[in-house]
Order: sequence, then C-alpha cells, then structure tokens
Amino acid sequence: MGVATVYPAIHQDVALDIELVERHRCGDLQAFDEVYGRFGEMVYNLAVRLSRNREEAADLTQEIFLRVYRHLGSFGGRSTLKTWVFRIAVNHCRDRLSRHVLPMQSIDDGFEEGGLPIADPGRGPEELAVAADEGRRVTEGLARLPQVFREVVVLRDLEGLSYEEIAEVLGVRVGTVRSRIARGREQLRLLLEEGL
Amino acid sequence: MNRHISTEQLSAYLDSELGFVEMRQLEAHCGACAECGSHLASMRRVVAGLGGVVRAVPPPALRQQIRRQVLQEVPARGLRGALEGFRLLLFTPRPALRTAAAMGLALVVGLFAVNHGPGRDAIPQVEPAPGLEVVTVNPGAPLAMLLTTSEVAGREFVWTETSWVQRGLEGETPVALVDAGSPRGRELLTRYSDLEFLLADGSPVVLRYNLQTVEIRSKAANRVLGLDTHPRPGSRHARTVSA
Repeated sequence: MGVATVYPAIHQDVALDIELVERHRCGDLQAFDEVYGRFGEMVYNLAVRLSRNREEAADLTQEIFLRVYRHLGSFGGRSTLKTWVFRIAVNHCRDRLSRHVLPMQSIDDGFEEGGLPIADPGRGPEELAVAADEGRRVTEGLARLPQVFREVVVLRDLEGLSYEEIAEVLGVRVGTVRSRIARGREQLRLLLEEGL
Repeated sequence: MNRHISTEQLSAYLDSELGFVEMRQLEAHCGACAECGSHLASMRRVVAGLGGVVRAVPPPALRQQIRRQVLQEVPARGLRGALEGFRLLLFTPRPALRTAAAMGLALVVGLFAVNHGPGRDAIPQVEPAPGLEVVTVNPGAPLAMLLTTSEVAGREFVWTETSWVQRGLEGETPVALVDAGSPRGRELLTRYSDLEFLLADGSPVVLRYNLQTVEIRSKAANRVLGLDTHPRPGSRHARTVSA
C-alpha cells in the first residue's frame, strides 16, 4: 500500500507564488498580470474601504500595483505573496491617506458598477430589499470605524484573511489582531444598534 | 464560568479561534446567561452583515492602465537591475571581498585619471569673476540626460520645456484641461496640495488623475512664486501679502 503525502494548501500557494516570482525575474510580463488577476480585486476592495472613495481607490490600486511590480523581484518567499501584497497595500493606503483628508463618498452603491448581489431564488424581493438595506447600514457603519479597527475588520470579514495572515500584514502580534477585531466589531455593533 | 464573557472571546468564538474546552464553556454559559446569549447573537448578526457587504468591482480600465504603466517601467527596471548588481559588487557581505573590490576600483579610477588627466587638449581653466557662475560644457556631453525632475505628492515630474509632466506620461495628450481655481482644480489640489509648488510660477502640470491624463494650470496672473493671492484655509503654502 503506497503512502500519499498530503501537502497543506498553503504549500501549494507558496509554490505558485515562487513560480510567479521566478517568471517575473526572467522578464515574463504575463507573471505580473497573473499577480494582478489574483489580488487586484482584493486590493481594490481594501482601498475602497480604507479610502471610502472609489476614485481614490482606483488611483491607490494603480500605485500599489506599480510598487508590487517594482519590488516583486525581491520577494523572498518568507511570507505568502498574498500577505506581501496586502502589506504593501495597507502601508501605501496609510501613507497616502494620512496626508490627505478625502471627502467621504457613498460606497454602498456597488449595484451601480456591476456589483449586484447574486440573485437568491430562495429569497423574495422584499427579503432581498431588507438584506440590501442591512448591507448599506453595515457599510456605512464600517466607514465610521477608526482606521485601526477598520483595517482589521476589512481584512478579516471582507477579505477572509486568517488572524495569522493579518498579523503578518500589519506587523503586529496575533493577540493584537484578535483584540482589534473584537473591538472593531463591538464598535460596529453599537453603531448599528444606535441606528448609526 | 460565572462572570460574563468578554467581547474578545465572543468574537474569537465566531471565528472558531477558541480551543475545544473554552468553546464548550462559552456555549454552556451563553445558554444559561441571557445577557451573554444576546450579546453573542447580536455580534453574530454584525459578522453576518459584514459577510454580506457587496464587493466593489474595479473599473475595467484599471487593469489596462496598470499594464501600460508597467510597460513604461520595463527599461527603468533594467537599469535598476544593473545598478543593483554594481551595488552588490561593492557591498558584498564579506568584509575582505568588499575591501578588495574597493581597492581594485580605486586603482582602476587612479590609472584612468593618470592616463586621461588634463593634457594638451584640456580646456583652460578660467578663474571666474566674483559673483559669476561659470558653466563649462564639454563637447559631446550627453545633454539629453540632464533632465529636471521633481518629486511631488509621491510622484515624479519631469520638466519638458513647457510643462511639468508626471513620469511615464511624456508624449501623452491630456484629455482634460483643469483650471486650478475651478471646483475640480481645487479638489485636485486638496488631494495633492504639494502640486502648488510646481504651479506657482505659472507652469502647467500634466498628471494622471482619476484614470485620466489631465493638465492643470493656474490662470491667476499675479501669482508669483510662493505667493498665493487666495490663500485657502489650512494650506501650508498660502501666505498673505500685506501692502
């Protein structure tokens, strides 16, 4: 009977990351395009939530990916490419947004840009309307959270990063991440209960 | 577990970040304590609500825009790679090799200076008169390499005889002309206030803004370098001039 070696999914990700970086070092432009394909939407969403402004988020995403392109060759594989890209994204957003106070824009209008929620055959129009309204309220509450909490809540609840990944992205301990997520969610809960 | 459960524990429980024993204790407590049960339920609703937030879709033009910018970066990256190689040669981690490399380089530079130093063809040195700046240009000097650049608002701008152009946009025709005094111009300057340095002498500035190449210029005729006749509150470049 043969013995099958099962590698955790993370190892497959790392192997793919290293392959992409190697191709980039060899001058394969397609490799960078694949990096954008994997993380472009995540980074744009993060930028939208942190800047609270879609136009600014587009500019930020563009600048973030230029940085990624410039430094991709020096990626050492000590973390996953995902956390590496997110680290660049968070640092760049912090840097840019600390210098400019932007006018807050309504960003719950994802419906305008093809961001329609997937139709659920089990939910009637009324139920869908309630869900959409709830989504709008949560988005508004999220925009009001202090940035330090907004970052972790977005990374955890919207982008689905684990506590360890968030700790790596932000350069803090897992315990700090756990505490910030809890405080961010609690503040959001209170905001929603107070009707914003 | 007699005391109420902390927010941090409830939040970690919802993320399955608690150990088995702690999880069972929390569930038992929440089943018996109405306050903690209600807190957990309301926290669960928040997390579910966050999970249901509609994701923003990046504008389709963004990917093309990034591709174009990256293509413009390719030659610069080649040069940077060469410089990096040179740096590694000089600052290799082993001190003995580093010293040897530095001495070798000094020797080569010294020999070159001896062989190509001032001779019969050398340009005579003229003592400049006090207060005068003498600029000597050797024949064949690569003038095209002498670019005037400025790093403002996190971007690099290149002077192109008539205007400041954001690096990478040279040769592009702006799709919009923005007056610095117009609402859009003011909005742009609010975001990139440092641009006022470039606009101060009346030079137009071409930059990427909201995925478009735009040209911004200040039409105020009496705007002198560093002086703004309409200081905006909070602007660190604005000064009031009194008669």
